[in-house]
Amino acid sequence: MAFSNEMYQAFEAVVGKRNIARDLGIRETYRCAAAQSSAHYGPYNHRTPMPEAVLLPGSTEEVKNIVRLCNKYDVKFKASSTFWSAMGFITDDNGVQLDMRRMRSIEIDEKNMIAIVEPYAIGAVVQAEAMKVGLTLNVPGVGCSSSPLASTAGWVGFGPTSISMGCASENMLGAEWVLPNGEVLRTGSLGAGSGWFCGEGPGPSTRAILRGFQGSTGSLGVCTKMAIRLHPWPGPTHIPSRGVVPAYKADLPDNFKAYTLCFKTWDDYAKGLSLLHEAEILFLGHRQFNMFGRDIKTAMLKILTDPDGQLAEIPEYTADPELKKINDDMKIEIQVIIAGVTRRDTDYKEKVLDTVLEMSGGWKNQFMLEKDMMDYVLLYLIRLGHKNLNYALCGAYEGNYGLSGNMFVSAKVMEEAAALKRKWELEHTHIAAHGGDSDMGSISIIGGGGPTGWEYFTNFDAHDKASIKGTADFFNETQRWMTEKGLGVDMGHWNQDLRREDGYGFTQEQHDEMYVKLPQPLVTVYQYKVREIINPKHLCGSYYRTLTPSKYKG
Amino acid sequence: MALEDFEAMQERCSNCLGCKWTPFDKIKSQRFGENCPSVCYYNFNTYSARGRFQLGLAIAKKEVEYTETVTEAVHECLACGLCDVSCKITRFNLEPLEHNLELKADAVKKGKTLPAQKPVLEALAKEKTMLVGKTKASRTKWADGLGLKDLSKEKGDVLFFPGCKFSYDEKLQKTAQSAVRILKKSGVDLGYMGSQDMCCAGRTLQMGFTEDFAKNAEANIALFKKAGVKTIVTPCSDCYHAFKRQYAKLGLEVEVLHTVEYLDRLIGQGKIKFTKSVPMNVTYHDPCHLGRLGEQYVPWNGTEKKILNQVHTWTPKRPRYNGAHGIYDAPRNVIKSIPGVNLTEMERIREYSWCCGAGGGCSDTSPEFSDWTASERITEANSTGAEAMVTACPWCESNFRKAVDENGKGINVLDIVELVEKAL
Repeated sequence: MAFSNEMYQAFEAVVGKRNIARDLGIRETYRCAAAQSSAHYGPYNHRTPMPEAVLLPGSTEEVKNIVRLCNKYDVKFKASSTFWSAMGFITDDNGVQLDMRRMRSIEIDEKNMIAIVEPYAIGAVVQAEAMKVGLTLNVPGVGCSSSPLASTAGWVGFGPTSISMGCASENMLGAEWVLPNGEVLRTGSLGAGSGWFCGEGPGPSTRAILRGFQGSTGSLGVCTKMAIRLHPWPGPTHIPSRGVVPAYKADLPDNFKAYTLCFKTWDDYAKGLSLLHEAEILFLGHRQFNMFGRDIKTAMLKILTDPDGQLAEIPEYTADPELKKINDDMKIEIQVIIAGVTRRDTDYKEKVLDTVLEMSGGWKNQFMLEKDMMDYVLLYLIRLGHKNLNYALCGAYEGNYGLSGNMFVSAKVMEEAAALKRKWELEHTHIAAHGGDSDMGSISIIGGGGPTGWEYFTNFDAHDKASIKGTADFFNETQRWMTEKGLGVDMGHWNQDLRREDGYGFTQEQHDEMYVKLPQPLVTVYQYKVREIINPKHLCGSYYRTLTPSKYKG
Repeated sequence: MALEDFEAMQERCSNCLGCKWTPFDKIKSQRFGENCPSVCYYNFNTYSARGRFQLGLAIAKKEVEYTETVTEAVHECLACGLCDVSCKITRFNLEPLEHNLELKADAVKKGKTLPAQKPVLEALAKEKTMLVGKTKASRTKWADGLGLKDLSKEKGDVLFFPGCKFSYDEKLQKTAQSAVRILKKSGVDLGYMGSQDMCCAGRTLQMGFTEDFAKNAEANIALFKKAGVKTIVTPCSDCYHAFKRQYAKLGLEVEVLHTVEYLDRLIGQGKIKFTKSVPMNVTYHDPCHLGRLGEQYVPWNGTEKKILNQVHTWTPKRPRYNGAHGIYDAPRNVIKSIPGVNLTEMERIREYSWCCGAGGGCSDTSPEFSDWTASERITEANSTGAEAMVTACPWCESNFRKAVDENGKGINVLDIVELVEKAL
């Protein structure tokens, strides 16, 4: 059914004239350009479908009524709050885009250590409000510009502090969920009228259904409110900072310490990190600055901590013998933060950290111990407000490689993965040449300490068609290597499974063809059944990975 | 430059939407966490710098036309530049403010203007002011009896340039007169442009009327050169930005100082001595065009160069305007040097200060939006418990004077010169 004036008027009656737009210019700004945003579905050169209208709902009631109209008129819909990722944009024609920015409330329940948030309460503001009462949250790895609700309901949702706070699935409590048919489901304890404190019972224990096996990516309706678990923050009521833009530095008390731990070999690295996982002393553990590339990370740190620093200075810095020494020292490294609750606690954590380093042959990099550098790292990683440096080198990147398993498995192939990327950097010119290893990722997001080798940052130029195409070719090469090694699906390809190269969603036949080959295809059979019950009209896009049961050949 | 020249930038914007927020490191609360008045008021992504990149690309590629809605969206940007600061926290190769202004210029070139812009431009052409209803004949009345050297008749090193607001607004005239008296008493030999005094036209650039700007700027530059001006002192932040950043691009080679910089210098040299205590709790509002947009223009002629295969840089190294070197300390030094005055900062200050709402010509074209923006700032100011908000720009002052906070409460607004005068 074509999108008619009658439909538009019906939607307008729900949200009001000011909160709906149909002008082509407005709608155009609600399309995702794959190469521009590196929105985790591949280095492609196209935009997502044009929405028929953009709606700004202001309440759960309005969302419910919009969804009911979508059902009535067979109009597809997708909600997004920060639009960081391609997953938030519609996947088919005849769809409407819901922009959730008017729904942004935050309620901090200090006593129960939870935050009840709406979609547009981003990580930075939830953290700022929580810190006022001595609490904080696990800011997802994507950074504090993202929505904790969306990350929790829709995606994996781990982050640098997962080592002490867990990941999204563990922090999700009660939720208010507008199902694809327009019914409002209150999950967990909320559904039993017992408040927000629990994601499971008393009440409907639907966390696994809402999230799917790695987040339902907005394919199962709209989550309008959610309680997330908060965690103790042993710091001031806000993060004090100093310095000239953009090289801000934290002014935290000395119970906070940021270290860059270095190791001789990947085996030592895995040993050290597993010991740290067991010791439970870290506030945060994340390999961050290596994303700039093994060869230039120290140069980038110099540039980023200088208010007048520029990328043009990279060659100058990399040619500096002193910096090269530091860079070599930091070849295999990770950033960690300890946050002591008392002086004794801080001393204890320091002591354990030193013992772990001794046991694993590791050391603290001296350059990263300089006060300004340590304070820069503390601010960067605790607020996670510079995550958009992901794009700094070329304007676009996509994650390559990526293993979510135990670090002892991934450590074995880190150098080989780095060598493959380095070879491509040298023999082709389509991706940035910054040293092969550009791995970034949080540690201890799952039991046992994984992952390492989470995401090799592959930087490319979204304005250069050859660069976009060359990056896609590199991902194909990575996949060939990973298949040969029995390492599963390359991250770039895993993300590309969500949406076709032309920007539209996959058909069921295409899903079947892809997911029947999974090592554990029953997961997607289960999701197929869930979707057919909850979302039989398939109105929310095709990101939810499904396999038609009859295609399963188990 | 034309809109088409921005294609690389439009395509390299990564949709991170950092441009909607106060630099994340500086967020202290949700209430005052956002930065772009335009997207905060209108809500659609289109109004953010990111949305403008995407819209600009579609317009340049002729996929989208200037409808009434698009034209309004393009012009309803305050040109405050906070998106620019936030973007450049992590990006080295995007210029959101420059693009926002080019988008406005493109609309103007294609005749897509707003009705309220016409009388402003007519006033500039006819009466040499951007204040509708004011006449050239009455422009310099504020200077009567001050004993200023008339630089339209004789040569002089230091030009006091009040700008339109200080020239015509009765309350502000008194501030301009005080500034002149204080500077003169401290030994500064000041002149003014007399019958040749006219608008700096900086706001035309903020509104996309680039030709009008160039015409007026070139005329002013010729007059300044003829008068032998070596230093321009202005109490208006818009004029300050126009001279220091925009006129400089057209060849103006003089020292440009805001009055607060001069006052700071004179206080430091002991040439201004305070004799009275002013027991007052104040907060300070950083005007956009003095703060983050108050950086000096540096000539540059170069090209993009990719290194490491795909990393964008420029050769030679390109000046980076990101608010790092704006004027933030001089006004604070002046305030803190006044006996009895207690300065309490708002949450959004310095390079990440929220706009007053008067920029981009929006106080003329979209008064509701402009008033709302001012109201947001008054709410923030009142949350500090200050008795007065001090600022250093007549456009900010005027916009704040008529605004109230979210609870209907206003605030006493003072120019920094008034505060200084109270202590003399």
